Amino acid sequence: MFFQQLVNGLVLGSIYALIALGYTLVYGILMMINFAHSDILMLGAFIGLGASALVSSWGGEWAAIAVAFLAAMAGAGLVGVLVERFAYRPLRKAMRLAPLISAIGVSIMISNGVFLWISNQSIPYPHFISDRNFVLGSVEISHLQAAIVATALLLMTLLHVVIQYTKMGKAMRACAEDIPTAGLMGIDGDRIIAFTFLVGGALAGAAGVLNGLYYGSIKYNLGFLPGVKAFTAAVLGGIGNIAGAVLGGFVLGILEVMAAGYLPDGNQWKDVIAFVVLIGVLLVRPSGLLGERVAEKV
Amino acid sequence: MRKLLFFSALALVFGAGCSAKSDVVRLAVAVPLTGDIGTEGQGIRRAVELAVEEANALKKFPFKIEVRAFDDRADPKEAVSVANIIVSDPAVLAVIGHYNSGCSIPASQVYARAGIPMISPSSTNPKLTQQQLEPNWTLPRSVFRVVPTDDVQGSFAADFIIEKLKMKKFCIVHDKTPYGQGLAEQFRDRFLSRDGVMLSFDGIATGDRDFKALLTRLKSLKPEGIYFGGLYMEFGLMVKQSKELNFKAVFFSGDGSKTNELFKVAAQAAEGAYLSITGIPVEHLASAKSFLDKYHAKFSGMDVKPFDHFGYEAANIALDALSKAGPDRAKLLDELRGTRYEGILGMTEFDDKGDTKNKIITMTRVKNGAFEIVN
Repeated sequence: MFFQQLVNGLVLGSIYALIALGYTLVYGILMMINFAHSDILMLGAFIGLGASALVSSWGGEWAAIAVAFLAAMAGAGLVGVLVERFAYRPLRKAMRLAPLISAIGVSIMISNGVFLWISNQSIPYPHFISDRNFVLGSVEISHLQAAIVATALLLMTLLHVVIQYTKMGKAMRACAEDIPTAGLMGIDGDRIIAFTFLVGGALAGAAGVLNGLYYGSIKYNLGFLPGVKAFTAAVLGGIGNIAGAVLGGFVLGILEVMAAGYLPDGNQWKDVIAFVVLIGVLLVRPSGLLGERVAEKV
Repeated sequence: MRKLLFFSALALVFGAGCSAKSDVVRLAVAVPLTGDIGTEGQGIRRAVELAVEEANALKKFPFKIEVRAFDDRADPKEAVSVANIIVSDPAVLAVIGHYNSGCSIPASQVYARAGIPMISPSSTNPKLTQQQLEPNWTLPRSVFRVVPTDDVQGSFAADFIIEKLKMKKFCIVHDKTPYGQGLAEQFRDRFLSRDGVMLSFDGIATGDRDFKALLTRLKSLKPEGIYFGGLYMEFGLMVKQSKELNFKAVFFSGDGSKTNELFKVAAQAAEGAYLSITGIPVEHLASAKSFLDKYHAKFSGMDVKPFDHFGYEAANIALDALSKAGPDRAKLLDELRGTRYEGILGMTEFDDKGDTKNKIITMTRVKNGAFEIVN
């Protein structure tokens, strides 16, 4: 049973980690919490569903799933950029609370927009991936679970490569250190910030599609709970720190699953337990597991 | 948003309050109209509208009857605030609602204080009517319901499992709401008294979407079946995720999960699940044929939801009593206590708590994406 629970935790954790990256990327550069992130995630799930429905009438399953991911990532990334351009950038020099309130406003706008214009009910998500399982001893791993972990890891690796080995990534790291100084070196801060929102939004879009595939249905409020959890994961790992967000996501996912799986009445208490651990970690290490300010944070 | 809605609702009530004359009498429908189970509530609203439209067309009354629908969003806090708005309108003589037991119980006290009769078409927690027998209940007994309660439904499921299916080892899960937990506890008590073996009893949070950890633990206990007290969303996700874990226990739940929405969430995984429902499915009720015809004629393209005929019956019982008692809350309440109404559910009479004496439960099983009657 332990290994089965570990698999459950890894799948949950990889979705959390993917979402947490978006929070942490933005925080790394702007020192602000993008509360609209969880709704961009939800929007990504809807965009993916719409796009795949268009394609699946003439394309095969694999075409549909590829289009779902690409459309969700592009769409959600674009929404991220627009949100930054119109809701955050004008307030960048305002007092710290202003962009925060603006973010909450955007979050409400997006979720209510979907609620009113698209649907206030659950919409079934297509079954792209077969229901079959890999069986390793007593552990059942569905193809879908394997695909989710693989996709998440792939995207994280891709992000790592972009940030560490490309010019754009170098510029992002420079901005995370100090935007005005980076500007003196000829780096266009606005462009880099927009790019950061594009990347964060794209990751959220992919996470949205994964979420829809995993739970089989989507709804206008699906982003809320994973959003809160992923934000927690980002703080747990050390907000602003990329490796921290990934670590935090996996720790939180596994912690929740183990609490629900092993403690008596654990399922009712899993969120309490997860947050007690969070508070405990923050008391001992106020800047999270891996720390907030490392040499190259982003 | 919430504030805005509240104020606009308030404005409506006051606006209406000024113009309320004795020639208009209102029936309030208080159910969830948005959110997860909004579709169920909208069905009840349609059924009540149908009943009132018929009554108006027959010109049985010297006044016009209006339906006014209120959205409690399946939220107990919202239900109480909606109830306060309803009782402040003197033209409202009776309430059809609420849907969830968790909403009905707190709201019922508001109605009782105002002396307005409330007939629930779907709340099945025994506490709703039982509370009126408590020694500290000094308000009028104004709660009625046309559905059998969870003690009947939970016991029925336990008996069915022991006698018909000969299963003995069960895990029980509930959603911690008054409906879900109540149903699960009623099931548990009967199941244990009939020598069933309960391997676990767990609560989950409504709105949670990941039950893999819990299900993995339940799987290791090797139960023959799982009994779930709660609504279709969580039930559907649990059924679906069990299948993904290759966990082959048989799933059971009650009327809160028996809706076609279940298939949107669980798809094929729902096959083989058992769901008990109160009463007889409307499509098998000979007496409901004309109701169904009229419903489909008025609301073409709309599915009949599981509680619509209860809503229709509740509205008709209220209208019948109204025709005898006249437009007065207290007289209407007295009239309802002595109800003998022959409608689509058969003969409805209320016991001294306000519960219907008509206590039929049906067991269904999912087969090819539909509910098949098995008892």
